[in-house]
Amino acid sequence: MTLWSRARSWVHALFQRSRMERDMDAELRFHMETMTEELLRQGLPHEEALRRARVEFGGIERVKQEGREVRGVNIVDELLQDVRYGQRVLRKSPGFAIVAVLTLALGIGANTAIFSVVNAVLLRPLAVENPARLTYIQEKWQDMFPGFSVGNFTDVRRQSSSFAEVCASHNGGFNLETKDVPERVDGEYVTANYFATFGVQPIAGRVFTSDEDQSGHSRVALVSEKLWRTRLRGDSSIINRQIRISGVPTTIVGVMPKSFDPLLSDTDLWIPAAFSPAELADYDNHYLTVMGRLKPGVTLAQAQSELNVIGERLAVEHPIDDKDRSFRVQSLTTALLGDQRLSLRMMLAAVGFLLLIVSANIANLQLARARTREKEIAVRAALGATPSRIVRQLLAENVVLGLAGGAVGVLFAYWAVAWIVAHGPAEMPRLDQSRIDATTLIFAVGVALFSSFMFGLAPAMRSGSAKLNEILKSAAGTGAGTRDRFRSFLVVAEVALALVLMACAGLLIRSALFVSHVDPGFDTSNVVVGRVGLAGPDYHDPLVGRQTFERIVAAAAALPGVESAAVVSRAPMAGLGSSNGLLAEGVPFDPSKLIDARLQIVSPSYLSTARLQLKIGRDFTAQDTRDRTLVTIINETLARAMWPGQNPIGKRFACCESGPKGRLDPVWHEVVGVVGDVRAWGLDHDVKPEFYVPFAQMPPTAWDWIGRTMDLEVRSRGGAAPVRDLQSIVASIAPAVPIYHLSTMQAKISGTLERSHFDTYLLALFAGSALLLSSIGIYGVLSYMVAQRTRDIGIRIALGASSTRIVSDVLSFGMSLAGIGLVLGVAGALVATRLFASMLYGVRSTDVITFLAVSFILLAVAFLASFFPARRATRVDPIVALRYE
Amino acid sequence: MDKQLDLLQGTLDMLILKAVSLGPLHGYGVLLRIQQISRDRLEIQQGSLYPALYRLEHQGWIASEWGESENKRKAKYYRLTTAGKRRLLAETENWNRMADVIAGILGTKREEV
Repeated sequence: MTLWSRARSWVHALFQRSRMERDMDAELRFHMETMTEELLRQGLPHEEALRRARVEFGGIERVKQEGREVRGVNIVDELLQDVRYGQRVLRKSPGFAIVAVLTLALGIGANTAIFSVVNAVLLRPLAVENPARLTYIQEKWQDMFPGFSVGNFTDVRRQSSSFAEVCASHNGGFNLETKDVPERVDGEYVTANYFATFGVQPIAGRVFTSDEDQSGHSRVALVSEKLWRTRLRGDSSIINRQIRISGVPTTIVGVMPKSFDPLLSDTDLWIPAAFSPAELADYDNHYLTVMGRLKPGVTLAQAQSELNVIGERLAVEHPIDDKDRSFRVQSLTTALLGDQRLSLRMMLAAVGFLLLIVSANIANLQLARARTREKEIAVRAALGATPSRIVRQLLAENVVLGLAGGAVGVLFAYWAVAWIVAHGPAEMPRLDQSRIDATTLIFAVGVALFSSFMFGLAPAMRSGSAKLNEILKSAAGTGAGTRDRFRSFLVVAEVALALVLMACAGLLIRSALFVSHVDPGFDTSNVVVGRVGLAGPDYHDPLVGRQTFERIVAAAAALPGVESAAVVSRAPMAGLGSSNGLLAEGVPFDPSKLIDARLQIVSPSYLSTARLQLKIGRDFTAQDTRDRTLVTIINETLARAMWPGQNPIGKRFACCESGPKGRLDPVWHEVVGVVGDVRAWGLDHDVKPEFYVPFAQMPPTAWDWIGRTMDLEVRSRGGAAPVRDLQSIVASIAPAVPIYHLSTMQAKISGTLERSHFDTYLLALFAGSALLLSSIGIYGVLSYMVAQRTRDIGIRIALGASSTRIVSDVLSFGMSLAGIGLVLGVAGALVATRLFASMLYGVRSTDVITFLAVSFILLAVAFLASFFPARRATRVDPIVALRYE
Repeated sequence: MDKQLDLLQGTLDMLILKAVSLGPLHGYGVLLRIQQISRDRLEIQQGSLYPALYRLEHQGWIASEWGESENKRKAKYYRLTTAGKRRLLAETENWNRMADVIAGILGTKREEV
């Protein structure tokens, strides 16, 4: 038999049913008529001919029915019948149907919504050619993974043979002067082969030539489609025209497609890196992002071992800069999205648990209904329905439920995804691309069918295999058979799953509470911060740059309502910044002895404006200029790391620049003060060593390290933040320079906590739902049990059992279910919480208080859920109960 | 006329395939053709003819299309498909071997055992 003909006739059976019936009618009528004609010709009278034809043919309906059967119509028919029957049954018990559909919608909707996010953030491949071959290469030094030095990058590119292309980039901010208000644009300085490495072509124009990537070549740029459409009016004549970018006339050579964002950093502008000869010889500054495309057939491990060899060679060639330095290569996808995996997988697991609980709950309801429907099913079986037909019928009913739940769930997911996109953490890349699309719809249907089978199969199998005569004989049930044991098992599983979710959510909540009580190390109230980048040839001279900032600070401090103002190279919560290896005086030079500390270049008023706590020593003054002793103020963490147990005041360390006698000629900085630690990276991040250097004493090269960009920090006396005033001050003092990322310090702090709060909120929501659902499960099983045992309870009451006794029996059954679930749940939670220990701050994954708290909440809710059925049991009237017989 | 024989179980399909292999036929024609080539020695239940036709079509051995009959009516004609041809050959061979074996067994005399 050919598969095709069979499939064709099924399709006909399904969709061309009426045509098939017409055909069959016509064919059989033809047969009868031809035969009648034949008989007429043999001389029979008309009536007799008709009768004979009919007799010889036999039952026409039976022939048709057999015809339908062989064509598979029956299977389709029965299926449709089953579905219709399922609908009817559900319509008859609307209460059950509504509860089931809504809880299912919750489970399926949550799963679909989270899957949409996971799909957008993690699963969709990066929009580059063959992303699996792309790698991200970093230097490794003292357990840190800094960027590449230009020298190391050039050597790796030249010496390695694992990669088809190795490219580099470093980010830069640019001031775009195309409208009245200058705008800050995030861009990347890239090597000419950057675009070839990713295998992406511009939608207009061309990429850079290698000539344009030489230092001294006139400035060219590629722009993103977004920038081209919003700021350049989508004008294709812009290609090969010049615009001013950060004060430099720049020729636009091409436009990159919207999808091109290989580092997921919303880059709008690409400029050739065009390393100067001095940069090419530099092995000391580590700031390049390096990507490589593996040659066909080369594995990550092979590339890593080749990089190890190159690293050892470089360490010998450049003992000062590359000693103890090696390289790490990983896939680009891991490097960019690895951080997102843990929390998204946790969410996916959480909604998966939720779905299991929902399924268990509905299975429980179905089992209870199966009990009351036993008679109906037994009658059907007695009338000739085969067990498989009965199972199919009950499954069809569940599939109807599942799909209805899925449909409502998708509506719910639409709303949920919109909410997540609007309120989700801004730092999560590609989150804004989450949507309900074909993939997620398929997922939703899959989840709906899966859960239909999850909650439908067990009850259906039981009903299908039930023994007819026993059921028909049995009176209103008394005992609790194996079925109730199975229902108890479901409740225990629900409770266990709920506890795992609650423990995870509890730990996150406790962690968030901890973080909210962390002292940021400075007074965050009434502080406004904005970044100002003095890019362009006008500010090439560090002195001009410093004087410009000093004028901005003076003007800001003079604003009404402003208490003081200052600039700092990276305000707390601003991220990034540059760090230097410090060497304490008296310690012989060895790269492994360097202490990596973050450099903060500040105006003298910074410490007082931010209200850092000066522990010992003095603050900077306007007299700390470059012709005086170079001074520094360090944070407590650095003091502990460099001079443990000693007073650091007056001690010196070398850093940041070399003296006239060469690389190893130290330039000393004297410690004049120690300030309290500041949680510069976010309240839930550890403090790193930091040192402050006065603006007037900064080494000239530092002007470029900080990208000629500083944070203006203003403390007001309360009231509205002087946002407008700061914008106009900057516009008047430095025309064509924008002030951006302008917001209050408190908004910045909540920005850094957005992510963990989001995770906490979602997980708490899921855990709460899980708790509610499993308490419904307990309630359902106990109520049902009480209803089933009405007669037993009646007899016991009649024999003198006290109502306390009855209550405690029911209660203890409910609590024992909860207790077993609790124990299993705690065991599961101990495993689960260990997996996301890295998301916790200040709390261990086995935190006793959290576990006790969630256990208590769970038992309290379980008690309530058991109490109402228990109380109902005491109200059983023995006379009524006994009359049931 | 010889006494009519009842059809052996499972042979109707084979006969239908054979009948339509000689040229496209409508259902009634199949009936007539079988009666004609069996010289009326086989009795075919008309009621079982159509389910058999539908089954064979469902299995892809025969295909059908509407045409005009000798008495100028619309009739559904069945013809053998390529798969049906192979099927008929295989069935014929099977049948012949089976018939030989059965005949051999039934023809056995006492002294041959």
